[in-house]
Amino acid sequence: MTTVPQSSPSRRQAARITVNSGLVIFVALYAVIAFLQPNYLEPGLFMNFLRRAAPLVILSCGQLYVILTGGFDLSMGAVATLVVLAASILINGDPETTWAVIGALYAMGIAVGLVNGLVVAFLKVPSIIATLGTMLLVNGLALAWSGGAARGDLPDNFRNLGRLVWRNVPVIGTLPLAALVLTGFVALAWFGLNATVYGKRALAVGDNPRAAELAGTPVAATRILAFVVSAVSAATAGILLGGFSGVSVNAGEGLELQAIAACVIGGAQLLGGRGSVWSAVFGALSLFALFTLLNLLGLPQALRDSIQGLILIAAVGASMWGNRRRT
Amino acid sequence: MTAVPALSMTGISKAFPGVRALDDVDFECLPGEVHAICGENGAGKSTLMKILGGSYKPDAGAIHLAGKAVQFTHPRQAAEAGIAIIHQELSLLPHRTVEENIFMGHELARRGILDKVAMRERAAELLRRVGAQIDPQAPVSSLSIALQQVVEIAKALLLDARILVMDEPTAALDERDSRTLLKLVDGLRGEGVSIVYISHRMPEVTAIADRITILKDGRKIWTRPRDAAPISEIVRAMVGRDLKDFYPAVPVSPADEVLLAIEGGMNAGLRDVAFNVRAGEILGVAGLEDSGKGALAQALVGDVPFTSGTVALRGQPIALRTPRQATAAGIGYLPGDRKREGLALRQSVRDNALLTLRSMTGLFTRPQRGALAHDAMDERLRAMDVRAADFGQEVGTLSGGNQQKAIIVRWLAQASDILVFVEPTRGIDIAAKAAIYETMRAFTGSGRGIVVVSSDMPELIGIADRVLVMHQGRISGVVRRGASEEDIMHLALGLADAPSAEAGA
Repeated sequence: MTTVPQSSPSRRQAARITVNSGLVIFVALYAVIAFLQPNYLEPGLFMNFLRRAAPLVILSCGQLYVILTGGFDLSMGAVATLVVLAASILINGDPETTWAVIGALYAMGIAVGLVNGLVVAFLKVPSIIATLGTMLLVNGLALAWSGGAARGDLPDNFRNLGRLVWRNVPVIGTLPLAALVLTGFVALAWFGLNATVYGKRALAVGDNPRAAELAGTPVAATRILAFVVSAVSAATAGILLGGFSGVSVNAGEGLELQAIAACVIGGAQLLGGRGSVWSAVFGALSLFALFTLLNLLGLPQALRDSIQGLILIAAVGASMWGNRRRT
Repeated sequence: MTAVPALSMTGISKAFPGVRALDDVDFECLPGEVHAICGENGAGKSTLMKILGGSYKPDAGAIHLAGKAVQFTHPRQAAEAGIAIIHQELSLLPHRTVEENIFMGHELARRGILDKVAMRERAAELLRRVGAQIDPQAPVSSLSIALQQVVEIAKALLLDARILVMDEPTAALDERDSRTLLKLVDGLRGEGVSIVYISHRMPEVTAIADRITILKDGRKIWTRPRDAAPISEIVRAMVGRDLKDFYPAVPVSPADEVLLAIEGGMNAGLRDVAFNVRAGEILGVAGLEDSGKGALAQALVGDVPFTSGTVALRGQPIALRTPRQATAAGIGYLPGDRKREGLALRQSVRDNALLTLRSMTGLFTRPQRGALAHDAMDERLRAMDVRAADFGQEVGTLSGGNQQKAIIVRWLAQASDILVFVEPTRGIDIAAKAAIYETMRAFTGSGRGIVVVSSDMPELIGIADRVLVMHQGRISGVVRRGASEEDIMHLALGLADAPSAEAGA
């Protein structure tokens, strides 16, 4: 049709609204929480909320990289579990080794990410299958290595990453270390997508890999890097989880699906080509606020999964519906 | 003729948010008539046909079929009323057989069980009627695009369509297949089917149409019988101006310095290909479907590389094993299928134009500096006259011509030495075509070269300095500027040794 200027502002506005849909949902949910429990408005409780939400937000940022390039990473939860179990086994009660072990944990995470990326990029295995495979593989290895049950304790200096809270901080009162890790990771994720050319390459690859390849984009490298970032985020989240809840064989269970759901709630498009760091951040905060709300309402834990499923369907359905109406 | 029109659409108007797509358009088609609709992209042709097919509801106006008023709210109703639309993009299921496709959604059954024998006979009969020798049990993916189109037509005939809309049916076909298709259209006209024919190919329109209607900016300009509508009149009505200088003037100085040299290029689709591209030259590549002209383009850009042979750019041997290597070597690619291979449709116009620059620079390059800055790219897009309300809008919302220009800007920004264009003007309007030809000349004018692969022979003759003609994976000859379509056709069919046997190398 003939181009007519007035049609575009509405479209741009629509785009802006989709980007921020996660923020809108988060604010709404948090308002309900605050209505039920007014002390959630205190900085201290909000900081605590951020601390507990940190692993999910970090995982979602990593997952977003993969989603932008048109894939899924189902192995994140398994990597987080592996990190928790490996930390307890390797540190083995000796706080001196903590930092070296953390280095080793990241190396393991990156190795899993590389395997995912190489399998997807070169063997052309659909990512949902490839990462399902690594998920089972990593889970199995972690369980076998730990002997099927959690053993050992994590030393305090390791657990502090997830647990430590500074008190008497000016203005905000308390500041959890995990909130700093969260901010740092989000800033890095933002930097990667917005301050380097990587973000636009990833969007192009997710939108149309064939066109990107013919335009000279290093498609394989772009995909592999996304899986590595995702695995690094899973390792980071695993370290925080170890701090929160100690050693457990199901520390990371189901986190990969929560991270995918979070990205979608925030407005990232499954199968690639659309989304920003804010989709991941606010999507994850919304999902975590929802879990908090369900707890406050006294709903049984098991219903969380059902509700999460419903939300996922509703979010994807809504974005499809929106797409169809626009065309 | 005072027959009741098989189809009459009166006073059709349709507005989309911000766009008046159709404004009080009248259109009719008699039984046994081929009525062509011409217009630039965005003139309203597709909208009019979508209203006819029940995909859109008109804001105003009426549709009568054989004198009876109808209103469609769903494409299925239009199909049941005898309207069949054959789209540019075919809607066949590639892994099913021809007969399964023909009967898709209308399977014959006896007591709840598929009656395969009856369907096979009926399919064979329909295929005979359209004069095609196709095995009803062959999978559709094994057929050429031309034959798939015939299957689409057979499918339409199954439903006893009285009105057949063909949207750019020959866009993907080469010269020979186009002729076959036109013959088929002629046959259907003889059977009393009304055919609405949409095409950008003028010679075709004037050859087949009984009447011609011109749409421009959503309005009908005129409807005339073919004899009263010479091509020049049609073009003027479509663009609202003369296009005397449709093809840009040829530069005076002859090209001499060899820019790109291919020796002994071979792969699955190419046999011993050798030629040069000279600085300042537009080299055309002609050939029928599967002649290897597409394979040649893919080899030059590293998509389906040569398996043997040498390629040298300015005398330096280069490797072209991946598109990325070709891009780095200075070879840019405008693919024939811009939606599938050229564009990331959900990304912005600007992002699509920046794609190659961003892909070839270092990973940690800041995206807003220097040549990567939005302002710099917007400047280039404006210089190329890419028309968009906002370069931040999704490239998928632009017309074909503007999309094509955006891809060209991508390669101009990359400062490529050689551009490989495949069907650069397929399905785009005349004004955009002229602009693209102009750009091609300007590009080669600065000492660089273009290889243009096209099925559109007048285009090759008009724009290229030399034309390589391919046949069965080989270069069967080279013709110079001024050659006729017959010369090229002769070589393309493999009927002769190169008449103007100029050495390609």
